[in-house]
Amino acid sequence: MKQEEALRMVNISKYFPGVKALDRVTFTVNQGEVHALVGENGAGKSTLMKILAGALQPDEGEIYLEGEKVFIPTPQSAWERGISIIYQELNLLPDLNVVQNIFLGREHRGRLRVLSYSTMIREAESLLARVGVGIAPQTMVRNLSVAQQQQVEIAKALSLNAKILVMDEPTASLSETEVEKLFGIIRDLKSKGVTIVYISHRLEEVFRIADRVTVLKDGKCIGTYSIGELDRDKLVKLMVGRSFSETFPEKAKETGPMVVEVRNLSVPRILKNVNFSVRAGEIVGFFGLVGSGRTDLAKALFGFYPHYSGEIVVKGKTVKLHSPQRAIAEGVGFAPEDRKSEGLCLGLSVKDNCVMAVLDEMRSTFFLNRRRETGLVQKFVADLRIKTPHFYQRVQNLSGGNQQKVVLAKWLATRPDFLIFDEPTRGIDVGAKQEIYHLMRQLASQGKAILMISSELPEVIGMSDRIYVMHDGAIVREFGWGERVDEERIMYFAAGLHVER
Amino acid sequence: MRNMVTLIQRILRGNPTLFFVYVILFVFFVFAASTAPQFRTVYNISNLLRQAVAFGIVGIGQTIVILSGGIDLSVGSLISLAACLTSGIMIGNPTLVFPIVFLVLGIGVLVGLTNGTLVAYLRVPPFIATLAMSAILQGSVLLYTKKPVGGVTRGFMFFANGQLGAIPFAFVFWVILLSFFLFLLRRTGLGLHVYAIGGNQEIARLSGIRVSVAKVAVYVISGFMAALTGLFLASRLGIGDPLMGQGFELESITAVLIGGTSLAGGKGGIEGTIAGVLIIALINNILNLLGVSGFWQWIIKGIVVIVVVAAYKVKE
Repeated sequence: MKQEEALRMVNISKYFPGVKALDRVTFTVNQGEVHALVGENGAGKSTLMKILAGALQPDEGEIYLEGEKVFIPTPQSAWERGISIIYQELNLLPDLNVVQNIFLGREHRGRLRVLSYSTMIREAESLLARVGVGIAPQTMVRNLSVAQQQQVEIAKALSLNAKILVMDEPTASLSETEVEKLFGIIRDLKSKGVTIVYISHRLEEVFRIADRVTVLKDGKCIGTYSIGELDRDKLVKLMVGRSFSETFPEKAKETGPMVVEVRNLSVPRILKNVNFSVRAGEIVGFFGLVGSGRTDLAKALFGFYPHYSGEIVVKGKTVKLHSPQRAIAEGVGFAPEDRKSEGLCLGLSVKDNCVMAVLDEMRSTFFLNRRRETGLVQKFVADLRIKTPHFYQRVQNLSGGNQQKVVLAKWLATRPDFLIFDEPTRGIDVGAKQEIYHLMRQLASQGKAILMISSELPEVIGMSDRIYVMHDGAIVREFGWGERVDEERIMYFAAGLHVER
Repeated sequence: MRNMVTLIQRILRGNPTLFFVYVILFVFFVFAASTAPQFRTVYNISNLLRQAVAFGIVGIGQTIVILSGGIDLSVGSLISLAACLTSGIMIGNPTLVFPIVFLVLGIGVLVGLTNGTLVAYLRVPPFIATLAMSAILQGSVLLYTKKPVGGVTRGFMFFANGQLGAIPFAFVFWVILLSFFLFLLRRTGLGLHVYAIGGNQEIARLSGIRVSVAKVAVYVISGFMAALTGLFLASRLGIGDPLMGQGFELESITAVLIGGTSLAGGKGGIEGTIAGVLIIALINNILNLLGVSGFWQWIIKGIVVIVVVAAYKVKE
């Protein structure tokens, strides 16, 4: 079967101050295929797609749609040509309702250019039905879950009669079931002739959904392959030039004394009777679907829920973790899920973020002691291999992996015994992931107790010495030392299948 | 009765903030009516409404600017300028009424255009652009006159002081303005775009909304409404005073905030500002009737703003 060409971007270059984001990239997509675009963070995927969507202008290069040369100066002109993009950070306005969001910027007008909501509501209903979801069109977007918001975005793209639909990391904050549903929608769109460009860090997904793959690296196109020519190792190698087998470091050989023991921890409507323990030297993995309470558990251990009941024992002593300050004093560190809003002050420097949690120690009488600060930062930048031009670089200018290392430095400065990592590798490229994995294992072998929450099953299985599975605010299964685990068995419990039988 | 209950429930669920602010208005009203017998006279109520209209007109413009994520601090001096030009040029000459109205409103639009251009195209932060504009306008009006100036015609005074039966004409005029701008915000593209821009400017831009055009429009509306308020005040007092508009910028922002519109933009609306304006007018009125010093009025308004906005935040 000869496939028609839907899109060809030729020799696209884009310069940002000091960076060459894209260097003569050529990218071709066939009609009606699911085409994955992969590469490390900063490889230029999002920039390329923003150019396609008219949000950025290329400095060089040409774009052809169905063989015809086009210019895409604005987002509107992209829609008019049937190109639609769903950005990684969802682009909906929380204080407008679903209908207003779907038709924003191209509202239906009636007489005298007055908005005709009745037509828009009717059309929105049929669009949402096509996506296969039952969301009331007049719901405020604020009240929708992330998955539902994404479905609204897809409905919006359909309303544009999209011929080419670009999805930038669509599964980043979806649970496994929601991902399944999304894949169903993608297959359905594909069968209706929509061409899909799929950007993802999660390579398993690429293998499941994509027909062809284009790899970008450092702003250059490495090549386009049909999915049959590739396997995981090969693809990772193309992306980073490393072999995949070295992904996870060796597990712990022995563990030390008990560091944290939690007995009957409950928070009304959030956590139910949670019991678990973490020893020095081990990494304990927590897996659960969205809404299972895994992040709430971490927050409870960090003093976010002062009204918990039950007992938390740290190093043999029962403690009351009623505030983050208490938790830090008891030797708990917490690298949160959303590092940009909860882990770091993006506008502050590497140095400021590193000393943030230990300002008292940096102080001599009233003033911060710069030498002490610099000494501390110097040590962590070297130990954790944080790539930054200088200590005064704003953390917003660092890559995701280096930002995560700064979060880690901030907590290591407090000399914790117990570290909680919530999604430690979210949005981090493959190379940096491995570094984070090795750092975590290194910390464990230095005698720290580590609790890791992750929604990526391979990561949970690859990193954890023991695994707890959560469902509906409770721990439903523990996989102990050396016990046989596989993705299906964990998912079985996480999805609550053991009770519904 | 049951219909009433379900209606109230629906409003509560749909917009609890709005419900809350109207409850406060109601409480103030009951308090006023029960403590001061003079309050319940037709004369006093129409006086109160007239007072409310002055803030009400400029408050509409301010609401729309704040919804778009901006702020307009130039309305106070613009009101003074508009009022002084009106009375200073008219000097009791009836043939000049219409040309002057057009001139003054035109100046309002021009000031708005300038503010809007500074904010939308030159990226001057709204706070700074309009603060600077306020200084320029206040300086200009003081160069023009240092004391109350000129006078308006008897016919022109009908605008603020006339009655349609028992109802002040000014109030009817305000209600018409309100319905027009409520419609504009809720049913037109520009209205929706103002909310979108205030909610997230980048999303608005990526949705193909012409952000700069909408922003200019918003400041033009605000300038127009401020000029209209200047005309209203000149009509009400019969004369323009160069310091007449002082405090209107903050007072109008106060009304908007009490009405539940978020200073960050994108949330709220004129529905709330109506209540905010009436609450402020009620506070002024009742304290005047009770003979409480004007300085106490400031203190009480300050407290009301803090309480109301804190209550909104707690609700969130």
